[in-house]
Amino acid sequence: MENMQATFNKGRAVQAAIPIKMTSRDVTVHYGQKQALNGITLDIPERQVTALIGPSGCGKSTYLRCLNRMNDTIDSAKVGGEIRLDGEDVYDSAIDVVELRARVGMVFQKPNPFPKSIYDNVAYGPKIHGLARNKDELDEIVHISLRKAGLYKEVHDRLDEPGTGLSGGQQQRLCIARAIAVSPEVILMDEPCSALDPIATATVEELIDELRENFTIVIVTHSMQQAARVSQLTAMFHLGDLAEVGPTEKMFSNPDDKRTQDYITGRFG
Amino acid sequence: MSDATASGIASAAARSNRRDIGIKRRYAAERRFKAYGIIAIGIGLCFLAILLWSIISKGYTAFWQTEIRVPITFSEQILGTPEDALKSETKLMMANYPRIARDGLVKLLDIDPSNRKAVTAAGKLISSGTRVALRDIVLKDLSVIGTTQDVWLYASSELDSAMKGQYDLSVPENRRPISDQQLQFIAKLKADGAIAQRFNWGLFTFGASSRAETAGLGVAIIGSFYMMLIVLALALPIGVAASIYLEEFAPKNKFTDLIEVNINNLAAVPSIVFGLLGLAVFINWFGLPRSASLVGGLVLTLMTLPTIIIATRAALRAVPPSIRWAALGLGASKTQTVFHHVLPLAAPGILTGTIIGLAQALGETAPLLLIGMVAFVVNDPATPMDPATALPVQIYMWANEAERAFAERTSGAIIILLAFLAIMNLTAIFLRRRFERRW
Repeated sequence: MENMQATFNKGRAVQAAIPIKMTSRDVTVHYGQKQALNGITLDIPERQVTALIGPSGCGKSTYLRCLNRMNDTIDSAKVGGEIRLDGEDVYDSAIDVVELRARVGMVFQKPNPFPKSIYDNVAYGPKIHGLARNKDELDEIVHISLRKAGLYKEVHDRLDEPGTGLSGGQQQRLCIARAIAVSPEVILMDEPCSALDPIATATVEELIDELRENFTIVIVTHSMQQAARVSQLTAMFHLGDLAEVGPTEKMFSNPDDKRTQDYITGRFG
Repeated sequence: MSDATASGIASAAARSNRRDIGIKRRYAAERRFKAYGIIAIGIGLCFLAILLWSIISKGYTAFWQTEIRVPITFSEQILGTPEDALKSETKLMMANYPRIARDGLVKLLDIDPSNRKAVTAAGKLISSGTRVALRDIVLKDLSVIGTTQDVWLYASSELDSAMKGQYDLSVPENRRPISDQQLQFIAKLKADGAIAQRFNWGLFTFGASSRAETAGLGVAIIGSFYMMLIVLALALPIGVAASIYLEEFAPKNKFTDLIEVNINNLAAVPSIVFGLLGLAVFINWFGLPRSASLVGGLVLTLMTLPTIIIATRAALRAVPPSIRWAALGLGASKTQTVFHHVLPLAAPGILTGTIIGLAQALGETAPLLLIGMVAFVVNDPATPMDPATALPVQIYMWANEAERAFAERTSGAIIILLAFLAIMNLTAIFLRRRFERRW
């Protein structure tokens, strides 16, 4: 509990003039005839946790999936507008989607480790991206990634056991370790704690706060408390619009938008 | 609980007020439905039991073959000297081996060689297949010439059937294939311990023969084996590749819908149509030889493809999408995602589908009849280009024979085919159980 409080306090200390990692201008998404996003303009600061909140179906996950072009896998999805990563247009034909996803990693709602060993789960990304020249380097990457994900102590003596045999919280941290292993610049998290119990959630939240030192994190969450605890910037989505964006502290204490106010006080959503 | 007893009267009143929704009827309907199910399964099991019983009771004797131990004198008079044989094998190949066998039996039975009728009757107890058996003994070791050896010879199918009690011996002599004199010979052989039922290896090794005792499934087993290899080598890669493309890469549009409908329809096309196609395309157009297992394999491949494609697509679809997202999210390409993650997870399903498809192909007869695999093939096919038959076709051919000994062989062959099918299906079940646990 003290930990959470500390996290919360840290979240309050938003510094000014933080460099921007990703920018989006007027991003729209259509699923067939239906428009899911109506022009989102949002800047994502570097090495900060940006929380996307809002009621179900408001488009926050859709927006998140635009950032590493995971929407490409849905046939009917059409993305408009402009998203830039360090100034490069991610939807430009010159950008390779495989390379983009190596730079912008993703952690999903439900822990989805590969049905392989813990080691192979983490080693898969570095292997396909050629990040290790030999077995020793690969071992090192795997160990460092597991350490960063706070999982090493729990699993170091059973790296060759299946990743699917871990508990839900451990599986999610394994997925985070897997994402970290390819050294991404940005990590997208789509409700990473919604399938976890409160204890596992607390562990993952602490982890997210630590990861902020090295990675830019965008997290979609349904939990107001979680957004307040882990994020520095909060964006409120509503029916495909960006209702409000601002420092987390301000959003939860003194929101400008009526919809944000209603949502965080639980009057709808 | 106390609350319930206190308000017992009130609740009873409430219960009587409640609308009758027929609880009893609902339970009765449930019981009736269960009973129907049990009856249906019972009928099915009953028929299965009758089928198996009739096949096994008729066919198990085919695995035993009556043999006679005969002292054979490999006389130089008939075979020529070993020196002659080294110069030319013609005499050895052409020699009158049945005569040697008959002479041995005549001696064993103490028959007067001048009694031609008795000698002929004795000769008929031995299979004419001894020609090959004795020739092989001599060709293997020329030093037997001039010696006398005890050799177990196949009995003729009449003697075999008589030994297995398949003839009614109470009818008058002229109405049964075994004469009284032959019965006396049999009794004497039995008394000497010179007649025995031994395991019928020939059933698995011999080729076609008009004599039941030397007819076997050898050619059919090899032919079926070649065809299964060809089906596996062609249908599995083509089917899996087609499924992966359709399921993972192809755009979803009218054209791919049309392909899907066509594949599903192909699975329902009568197999004889594939036979006609094979005849027209592979034999008439491509000029491949008739009766060859290659053509049979190609036709069965066409027939098995839809089964494998449908099973593979179902297996691919059953892989949770979260696995694909995980791989794509790490920056794996679509091909890497499919080959590193989706395909290994779908493999048990694909294997199961393939084995079931193969089992179907193994039992298929109609298309093979059309491409000429219903043939009298004596020699084992050395390559898939040589004439061969298949297990179910051999069963069909034996079922058309009139002799009593072929009837038991037909059932015996069915038992062997069923055993192969059961092994394949068990393998499919085993693979599914073994690998599905991982995920």
